[in-house]
Amino acid sequence: ESSTKLTTKTLKHPLEHLWTFWFDSPLAKSRQSSWGNSLKSIYTFSTVEEFWSLYNNIHNPSKLAVGADFYCFKNNIQPKWEDPICANGGKWTVTFARGKADICWLHTLLAMIGEQFDHGDEICGAVVNVRGKQDKVAIWTKNAANETAQVSIGRQWKEFLDCNDNIGFIVHDDAMKHDRAAKNRYNV
Amino acid sequence: QGEDEIGVMARKYTRDFLLIFAEQCIDLPDGFDIAYDLAEALIVSNLNVRREPY
Repeated sequence: ESSTKLTTKTLKHPLEHLWTFWFDSPLAKSRQSSWGNSLKSIYTFSTVEEFWSLYNNIHNPSKLAVGADFYCFKNNIQPKWEDPICANGGKWTVTFARGKADICWLHTLLAMIGEQFDHGDEICGAVVNVRGKQDKVAIWTKNAANETAQVSIGRQWKEFLDCNDNIGFIVHDDAMKHDRAAKNRYNV
Repeated sequence: QGEDEIGVMARKYTRDFLLIFAEQCIDLPDGFDIAYDLAEALIVSNLNVRREPY
């Protein structure tokens, strides 16, 4: 039996990185006084097979409650501005009508875990925010000052999503200082 | 999918390659454990989750 288990394990397809799914539910957020306390890690996976085992059993963004945030980040990075790896970073964001982000979310995850980005080392992870009128998918990166890497990631992401819209990159630091008035640092 | 001279695999997988495995992995991973309130919000079927809340 042990040899069978070994064979099965050997046949799995390892990913370059370990990735962790995180979830922040609207209900849990309402119970917490400060942001980030309701954020829960759900599962860490390291193979293609583990990814699908989880993905196939969790709701698509269109089925999540309004207010939910669902993250997939490299496992040593917390999806918070305060995380030392995220602190100097920023994010590219694509916006969708409510319930229309499912395919984009999947294709974003597959491009990340399959290491399809030339500057994949710059990527922290991705998040889908489910909101009342729209859903947003964002890719978080590490070094906002590295324009070459950010622009490459933004352009490649649009290709992977077959997206023709203009998208913007906002530096976390600008978002902290100016909230919704923060301007895009880069556009592609 | 790509191997360098010392035999270390470059773990790059295209979307089409990853999608091949989508229908083969339909059960939650072994040892998956999640609080019931989170499972209600997140999991399609609640069969494999703890019933008691934290």
